[in-house]
Amino acid sequence: MNRTSSYALAPILLLLSALFAGWNWYLQPERAGAWGASIALVAVMALVLLWADRSAKDDPGPGRAADTLRHAITSGGFLLVVSLGLKLAGGLGVLEDPDLERRSRMVVVGAFFMFTGNALPKWLTPLSQPQCDGSKAQAFQRFMGWTWTLTGIAYALVWLVVPIDLAKSVSIAVLVGGMIAVASQGVRLYSSRKAA
Amino acid sequence: MNRVFKALSDPTRRRVLQLLRERPLSAGELADQFAVSKPTMSAHFAVLQEADLIEAEKRGRNILYRLKMSVLEEALLEFAHTFGWEMKPAGSRHLARNLRAKRRPLKAEA
Repeated sequence: MNRTSSYALAPILLLLSALFAGWNWYLQPERAGAWGASIALVAVMALVLLWADRSAKDDPGPGRAADTLRHAITSGGFLLVVSLGLKLAGGLGVLEDPDLERRSRMVVVGAFFMFTGNALPKWLTPLSQPQCDGSKAQAFQRFMGWTWTLTGIAYALVWLVVPIDLAKSVSIAVLVGGMIAVASQGVRLYSSRKAA
Repeated sequence: MNRVFKALSDPTRRRVLQLLRERPLSAGELADQFAVSKPTMSAHFAVLQEADLIEAEKRGRNILYRLKMSVLEEALLEFAHTFGWEMKPAGSRHLARNLRAKRRPLKAEA
């Protein structure tokens, strides 16, 4: 996602999220706590976005922390819009099948893992940091990126293909498998560095 | 994304990325691997940096280059490497069209 699209998208996604949360609250007032929490989350994200905008004015260079924050808010806003939008569609009776709503939400979560994993190798630690061993840090980041991207794809596929009764347990197994792979690779690299 | 495709279209730049996959390398270490002049190598580094595929970090008097590729970009690199994907220089398509037009006899002449 480039800087321009994320600048335009983030506020739109937050506005839509707030709108969908309010609409859901109107349709299902018995779940006021959930909708209230969603609106509070959107408000916090909007505040962070304002702060990112202000700090971006002070630091116009590339690779700024403000851009990272903005991308994170855009991704979070997208997840919220899809999730609240699907709930709203269910509430309005547009989506008759409750499984479809759940499957769609989980596929979006899988896509989120995939996009996060894709971007992971780009988040670099400065080599000047004393604890940073360039080649090992790079190897770990690449492994983590690939593992997390493939985990995201597998997670989304499970929720698309596997029967709904099995999908939850299989998707959790996929997620835990990805986490274990990343953690074990991290431990392996750390212990080999200590031994060296 | 166009910058990424442009960066990956050149075999020298692809080789630089493959070398950087092993570990971060200095500009000198990278230049030693290629039989091209230093200004040419600098131009290749500039294209790769512009595409955000590598990052330069100054360490003492050396410039250290390291990989900054997303998973998708790395997959594209593999694809480009496997299929020998090369971009024609800008304007070559236009040139080829002009040449074809010159060779083709005009209808009025025929």
